Amino acid sequence: MQLSTSPDPTARISIRGLSKFYKDYLALDRVDLDVRKGERIVVLGPSGSGKSTFIRCLNRIEPHDSGVLMIDGRVIDDRTDLTALRGSVGMVFQNYNLFPHLSVLDNCTLAPRLVRGVGTSDAKATARRYLSQVNIAEQADKFPIQLSGGQQQRVAIARALCMNPEIILFDEPTAALDPESISGIVGIMRDLTEQGITTVCVTHEMGFARHIADRIVFMDRGAVLEITPPEEFFTAPRTERARTFLAQMIRH
Amino acid sequence: MPSTCPPALALSRSRRTPALQRITRRAAPWRRICLAAPFVLALILPAARAHADDLPSFVHDGQLTLCTNPTLPPMTFVNGSDTNALAGMDIDLARRLAAYWHVPLVPQTMDFEGLFPSLSAQRCGMVISGVLRQAGRLRNYDAVAYLDSSVVAVARVGTPKIRTMADLSGQTVAVQSGTSYAAQIERENDRLRAAGRLPIILQQYPTEDQVVQQVLIGRAHAFVSQDVELYYRQKQLGGKVTIILTPDYADFHQFAVYIRNDAHDTELLQTAIDDLTRQGELSAMARKWGISGDHQSVFTDRKASSRFDFATFFSALFSTAFLKGAALTLVIAILSHLTAIIISVPMAMKLNGRDSIVRRLLGLYVAIFRGAPTLLQLLFIWNALPQFFPIFREHWFTPFLATWLSLSINESAYQVEINRAALRAVDPGQVLAADALGMTTAQTYRHVIFPQALRIALPPTINEFISLLKTTSLASVISLQELLAVTQIQVARTFQFTEYYAAALVYYLAMVFFFLFLQKRIERRFVWADRDKASADAA
Repeated sequence: MQLSTSPDPTARISIRGLSKFYKDYLALDRVDLDVRKGERIVVLGPSGSGKSTFIRCLNRIEPHDSGVLMIDGRVIDDRTDLTALRGSVGMVFQNYNLFPHLSVLDNCTLAPRLVRGVGTSDAKATARRYLSQVNIAEQADKFPIQLSGGQQQRVAIARALCMNPEIILFDEPTAALDPESISGIVGIMRDLTEQGITTVCVTHEMGFARHIADRIVFMDRGAVLEITPPEEFFTAPRTERARTFLAQMIRH
Repeated sequence: MPSTCPPALALSRSRRTPALQRITRRAAPWRRICLAAPFVLALILPAARAHADDLPSFVHDGQLTLCTNPTLPPMTFVNGSDTNALAGMDIDLARRLAAYWHVPLVPQTMDFEGLFPSLSAQRCGMVISGVLRQAGRLRNYDAVAYLDSSVVAVARVGTPKIRTMADLSGQTVAVQSGTSYAAQIERENDRLRAAGRLPIILQQYPTEDQVVQQVLIGRAHAFVSQDVELYYRQKQLGGKVTIILTPDYADFHQFAVYIRNDAHDTELLQTAIDDLTRQGELSAMARKWGISGDHQSVFTDRKASSRFDFATFFSALFSTAFLKGAALTLVIAILSHLTAIIISVPMAMKLNGRDSIVRRLLGLYVAIFRGAPTLLQLLFIWNALPQFFPIFREHWFTPFLATWLSLSINESAYQVEINRAALRAVDPGQVLAADALGMTTAQTYRHVIFPQALRIALPPTINEFISLLKTTSLASVISLQELLAVTQIQVARTFQFTEYYAAALVYYLAMVFFFLFLQKRIERRFVWADRDKASADAA
């Protein structure tokens, strides 16, 4: 690939030779990637290819073992202030992971209040603004159990937005959703780009990937095999492994 | 030394002689000889003389401490509804001894089985509790006799008299547990078996009133007790029972004050008792408490009613004694459970964590305190701990503290399992989400994990609490005056089992129902866990 050997401090995310082990198992194998501000990256790959491990390294929920990870020119390592890092890198999960004992509004205000020390009324105002942005303002006082999956995922995005992140990581955000909800999420992710938010998304949903990705990162066995625009990836994948993967995905 | 003087000399009289007369005849020749011994000794060992005018060593910190089980009228019992108002021949004697040595008397009440362990643990200086002077006990303790008595076998009125204990072959006989009557009956049984006859069926009960009750309700054919107690009981029993035999057991002829083995103390105590005997004070006490056969005539005067006495029931229900007992039960249960919860939460977190030495030690802690019976733990902390750590002998270590300590430890071993399960039941995705939002571990526990674990832990925790509330009744063995102890003391005084048991039952049920009600109220706050309820709540 045409990346220089040293990380690019002007990129939003710059990764060089990122590796991660689980005991003897190599989960990430020397990953290189640069992500621009406002870019939408979709990570594809078969199960166990290291996609989730990869994006979890980006907010250091999984610390990497070697290589360089740089966000906005700052090196992320064991000396990094995790609270600050996680404030600028938000995350949305496959199973939403909303706090079931808190109302939608409280889900959105908890971390800003605790972590950022934002006042309750300010936190609520911010939360209501983002809940409107994801079209769920009217559900603010309900508990997560009262919402549909699509609604819960939108709350989860609003919860991440309340921390004013520059990057949001999506770990298979549509895996538990129906097609209608998925198109809702696509719209929301496009809006994020307009706000200048960079997104890195792991998914199995090919249509979804094609709709939102600026670039596709294809992974297998912990290594990045291709980084290409979606139209090229889906029509003329460069590697044999990607071709097999796409053929299987289409058949299913 | 007095403790080695032959007691048999004092017993060489007809066993049917009334106790009162026997007291007046106590200045037996052997005792004078025995009294001379210390003086001889003092001449041989001049050092011993320095202590001759001292107080006995069991008078400690300027007070005389007494261990007694106040369920044995007329020797030691609670006369009235105030459980602190001890009365009886033994109590009078203890007070008189305290006055004799010019120190205040500090009595402690407890189950009969707790008396001697408490004496060994130096929790009290002496035991006076209607305990007989017996060779077996003299191996470990010293004893000075103060009242003559004899064993009686008692059955319901109309039961024919028998000639020997062997005539009870195949019958059920009730005795108080911890007393030596059981061992005596076992010896009879050995003889019966040797003769190819059926043994006596022995039943043991923790209090004397329960022993008598077995005969009254017809479960036991007879009970074995001391004559003095029966004289007193007859007033309550209204002539429902009769003595069917007065067996001549050598070991059962004298009530004695027990102290820890100490020749010098025994000698001082003997001198004191002899002085009181000479001054006629002991016989006056015996007369006061009706310790003589004269009451035999009073027996038939009153017919006790067998119907439920509502007046007694309601007066018990609203008595300060029961209110205090119930309050103590409630307070000790709440305190113990709160302590258990506070220590079991970090324990549960550690046990759910990675393998370590601490985790293994905690595992051992849980295994031991869940494995050992709660009663044994209470007795161990109260009676055995002071032998290892003398600090637990001191007065600040009250039955309340001991109960709090042992129930907290015991309960934490159960609570930790509830906490573990509840913490594990919280979705790991919750920690992940909190982590991704930059929350610290403490914030995650406080705002995310604990509120969700609480909902899961609450029903089994309330269950545990209700169980603990009832377990507090075990603390009566270490003399905590909780609800059941109060009940038993009242029953021992009045023999109105049904009324007092019913009053206690009302209190226990009221407390349990209150906490079940509370549980329902708290569970309403967890609407977030139930979609239908949450929606209904919003509507």
